[in-house]
Amino acid sequence: MQYSQKVLDHFMHPHNVGKMEKPDATATEGSPSCGDQVTVYLKVNEGNKVIEDISFLSYGCASNIATASIITDLAKGKTLDQAKEITWRDAMEALDGLPPVKVHCSVLAADTLQTAISNYEIAHGLKEVPNFSKDTIVEELKKIIYPQVGEDIVSLKMVKYVGFTDGEVLIDMNMMSFDSWRDNIAEEIHEHLEKYPEVKKIQINFP
Amino acid sequence: MRPGKIYLDNCVSTPLAPEVMDAMLPYFMQKFWFPGSFISTGESTNDALAGFSATVAKSIGAKPEEIHFTSGGTLANNIAIKGLATALKRGHVIVSVVDYPDLLTNAAWLEKQGFEVSYLGADSKARIDLDQLKAEIRPDTVLFMTTAVNHVVGTIQPLQEIHEILAAAPNKIFFHVDACQAYGKMPLDVNTYGIDTMSISAHKIHGPQGIGALYTRKGTKLGQLIHGVKRVNGLQTGGLSIALIAGFAKAVELSFADLEGSIKHLRDLSNYLYTKLQEKIEHIELNGAEGEGRAPHNINISIDYIEGEAITMMLDLHGITVATGSACASQGLKANYVLMAIGKNHVQSHGSMKFTLNRFNTKEDLDFTVEKLAEITDELRKRSPLYNAMKKQEK
Repeated sequence: MQYSQKVLDHFMHPHNVGKMEKPDATATEGSPSCGDQVTVYLKVNEGNKVIEDISFLSYGCASNIATASIITDLAKGKTLDQAKEITWRDAMEALDGLPPVKVHCSVLAADTLQTAISNYEIAHGLKEVPNFSKDTIVEELKKIIYPQVGEDIVSLKMVKYVGFTDGEVLIDMNMMSFDSWRDNIAEEIHEHLEKYPEVKKIQINFP
Repeated sequence: MRPGKIYLDNCVSTPLAPEVMDAMLPYFMQKFWFPGSFISTGESTNDALAGFSATVAKSIGAKPEEIHFTSGGTLANNIAIKGLATALKRGHVIVSVVDYPDLLTNAAWLEKQGFEVSYLGADSKARIDLDQLKAEIRPDTVLFMTTAVNHVVGTIQPLQEIHEILAAAPNKIFFHVDACQAYGKMPLDVNTYGIDTMSISAHKIHGPQGIGALYTRKGTKLGQLIHGVKRVNGLQTGGLSIALIAGFAKAVELSFADLEGSIKHLRDLSNYLYTKLQEKIEHIELNGAEGEGRAPHNINISIDYIEGEAITMMLDLHGITVATGSACASQGLKANYVLMAIGKNHVQSHGSMKFTLNRFNTKEDLDFTVEKLAEITDELRKRSPLYNAMKKQEK
């Protein structure tokens, strides 16, 4: 599958690109080792909580740049509560779709936006730092896309069991031994969970 | 946008030389016959084939009967490696982690068949570790295989030293060389290097796609891999494309008429490209060996702080084709294994650009490419958090 014309347009002429001076909140997600990293900057009206300005920087491929560009378009002018509803599926739809192997880029863009909003809310006393629990793990697993079909591994029922005891995460996966994406998925699970200080050990079991 | 495309991914395939097209045409419609005996059609094809085999054989210092035409390099590699394995039945095999996938996937297959395989490491230039080679050789080592020119970074493997090490072993170790990237880019005499089997391919030297050859030293026993009708000899079962073989032979004639001159021409072009890249783009580094240590048509660089798929996409919009080692551009979303094996980090691999030239590329093509690449690099660096962070640190 090729990139849509919308992806190419946003890649070649991204909207809201560039570093913001004195943002009210910022977030960086992804890592150079995965080949993609996005930073989102927010300016929020303290009174009505509207995102008045938003910009991004992206280290990554064409779809990484395009999804970051579209996510800033979708969020601009929205209240924080409205922006919290924006998902990677919205970004993908707004770009007229993405090749399955590139869907993870839209997840990264949406995730970075959500983290920036969360950082704003925490800094302004609008919410508490959430407790780490099994739900946090499941939410993180929902951000991991199976590249073959472009859907997340939770929706695809590839996660059979999630446990969390004494800092140890236990995940039972439902992926065949001949599935060539097993290593990629395992790596991604580590990347998503290792950023939490509560996680001391991750055990992933494949059949 | 310029008219036409600038194709700088010639390690994958090269455009057909016009003389090659002319040489093939009669064999499609008038002289399409298969080899045979006693009648004019078959005999004339026998004669033509003998001539083409002799041309290919001469280019590598081999005898005509040691050349077996195949559909390309991969089939040649498979007939050699699996053929040797079938004949030898068991033993120890040595290959390196930077070799071409043909060799590595065959090594994995050999392991499944009960062979033991040792994987040599490589230095930061992708030159295989000769000390490790010496250390790995055992009384039951039966096969060593290598890729003469590394398919990613263009480094030439030390064939002479390898030959000396293998020849000094107390037991016979078969030496298989994948020479598809090297053929026509460096002198490759099978006797100088004591090579037992070697794969070459036509479409890397302006010949047609779909034809290659396996050199097999006389007396080397290869188990039969593909069974079927025998038209020429045991290894070549099934039909042959006489037209493609005619094209292959013409491409060999053209490439080897003045090999030294051709190598010099490619080296001048690639040196010119690398000099221009260094002049116009900051924060780049060369991957692989320097100067004469690399194939004359390959320049591989890493451009820091930006990602290769985005670069190749933007170059493509200007009609320029180059390759990248970025995970984002790969089928398996993995950073290039050769670059990672020689100690490059993820950013260097994701930002790597491989330019492989052919003899029809011009300095004007390269000027235009570097000009566009410099603009693209500026644009993508403006968007890059890594570049912005580096700039902030500089301040």
